[in-house]
Amino acid sequence: MTSATGTGGSTAGPAPARDQARLPRGAARRRVLLAPITVTPSKPLTPSHLKGLLWTDVMYRATARLAEVTYRYSPTTYHPTEQTLGFWEYLDRTAGETDYSGLTEEAIGELYVGYRAAGQRAGLAALRPYAEAVELHGWVHPASARVLELWTAHYARLGMHDPGLLAHQPPGLRLEEAIDRLGAVGMCLDQRAYGGPVFLDATRYGLPLRQIVDARGRPNYLACALRELIPLAPRFDETVLLYDRELEPDYLLLERTLSEFGATIRRVTLGRVPIDGQIRSARHGDWHDHTTGALLSRAAAEYDEPVLRLGMRLYFIAGLGQGQQQSFRHEALRQSLARAARLLSGTRTTDPAPLPEVLSRHRGDHLYVNPYRLTSGLLARHRPAPSDDLLSAVYL
Amino acid sequence: MTTSQELLRAEVARRIATARPELAARFDLLTADGLLAAQREITRAAQDAKVQAVCVLRDFDLPTWVRATCAFAARVDASAAVGWRRDFTRTVFLAGNPDNLRDRFVFGHVADDGSAAWQGPAPAEESTTLRRLLKLFDGSAELPTRLSTVVRVLADRDPRGRAPVRRELHVATAGVTIADCLVHLNHLLVEAVLDEVVGPGDELVVRQAPWLPASAGLFAARRIDGTPDHPDRLRAYAALTGEIHDA
Repeated sequence: MTSATGTGGSTAGPAPARDQARLPRGAARRRVLLAPITVTPSKPLTPSHLKGLLWTDVMYRATARLAEVTYRYSPTTYHPTEQTLGFWEYLDRTAGETDYSGLTEEAIGELYVGYRAAGQRAGLAALRPYAEAVELHGWVHPASARVLELWTAHYARLGMHDPGLLAHQPPGLRLEEAIDRLGAVGMCLDQRAYGGPVFLDATRYGLPLRQIVDARGRPNYLACALRELIPLAPRFDETVLLYDRELEPDYLLLERTLSEFGATIRRVTLGRVPIDGQIRSARHGDWHDHTTGALLSRAAAEYDEPVLRLGMRLYFIAGLGQGQQQSFRHEALRQSLARAARLLSGTRTTDPAPLPEVLSRHRGDHLYVNPYRLTSGLLARHRPAPSDDLLSAVYL
Repeated sequence: MTTSQELLRAEVARRIATARPELAARFDLLTADGLLAAQREITRAAQDAKVQAVCVLRDFDLPTWVRATCAFAARVDASAAVGWRRDFTRTVFLAGNPDNLRDRFVFGHVADDGSAAWQGPAPAEESTTLRRLLKLFDGSAELPTRLSTVVRVLADRDPRGRAPVRRELHVATAGVTIADCLVHLNHLLVEAVLDEVVGPGDELVVRQAPWLPASAGLFAARRIDGTPDHPDRLRAYAALTGEIHDA
């Protein structure tokens, strides 16, 4: 796996030559962009976050055997949102000079909960130095840098491809450039001159106006996504957007907008993972023993690394599924880990079909491989066991 | 002696009595308290106004908007105007780009440069879909002062034997946001067109100053409202003078 590369995200090269010979006609070397929603580095990774990350990882690694895939995940792009800049400003204002390098995600998450509970919105002037430092030289507040460093370790342990959590990956357009590009295709309503906000305007398609920059010039996450994806998405044969179900209206807009620039968009909606039947935002801080770190420690006490990696994927992809009907259950995760241990013990005959053929079965009419179909296929009793090729390429 | 506040109050009372005679009967509109009570009643009723116009704004340029507002008002037919006057020519200002809406919505008038478009006046429910798609226009910036300009209005309408006239259109700027200006000028201009104070081919000399000149005798129509901090303290925000003639 290649490492992160500049503005384009990280790219897995084309599949090895022996695989390509067996690819369906026309499928070779097609270019796919995976662009999942990012997690704000201000709190521990919860089961909902982990589900999205594992889905994307399996999609990335499986699709990379069939096409040239770029996995774009840039914390840099989303730092300029008020949610992040406001947290950083709050930390410096309330805690001052603090060494965050020894803090846990949970401890930093508690600070974030304090910030949200305080409910104050910092003035534009107070946020400006933070916004400028991000835009000019990719500065990251030490608290978020610490969180990203801890997440990098989780990624490594889970065998997830690191798309450049610690890399400086600025978006391809500055905010004003993105606004100009939208204006050029008639999709921007800029009313800042009158004291109003900037709207993304897809009313031509019957979609409601959506604010992307407030009246005081502060961009929201959608503006950040547009800065990144307007120049990037049209360069691919297919762009897959993975996001939380609550963001569906915004992603419909994003699809419509990027299509206007010539991109082919596939949307993959993921339900969050309820805890005891409730879907709660991480800003409330009630993550208790459900953080990714806690889940990994618990699993590692019983199972070795390959079982942990496969078992987590079995649970968060095939077990929980795409929707959000099932609450997280430690017991169900344990069962998936046990299932993974049995699969890896290799007592059943394995699938003799070549890997590209196995993966191609789970693509439908799009280029990307569907993680749910591929993963639940591993559990089907009447089918042969997954080959070592498949396990090592996608699951371990 | 009659104070300027009393003069202003009398003008506001006249507007209310014309639109809603029943309110004039219920409140003593010539006292500050009575007028305030009537205005509160009007504000309360405006929450579920029966008839309203909708103005969709992409951009705001004062002379262009003045011209387009008059053009819109001249297209309002007499029967629709009756209900609209009863609701004090209520108009909702929405942020939107008329170019993007023309395929889905029918507008009564669109500004020549596409910067604004109007629907109605019509029962409020007729514009529900449009209002859901758009957002309220947020014109919280101060109204910028411009050099005075001449706006020729309704140039394409049949004058029906009426000779065009020239008037000054005074617009107050001190403490006035763009959103305030829209509201005040809209009422003043559409009512002036409906009352035929402003007619085909007229020229309006737009003059902006912090406050309007005080002399009431000069004006053919004024827009008067309370100040934000003192609703019972009246102020003229916009006015049309009588006919003027170049020296």
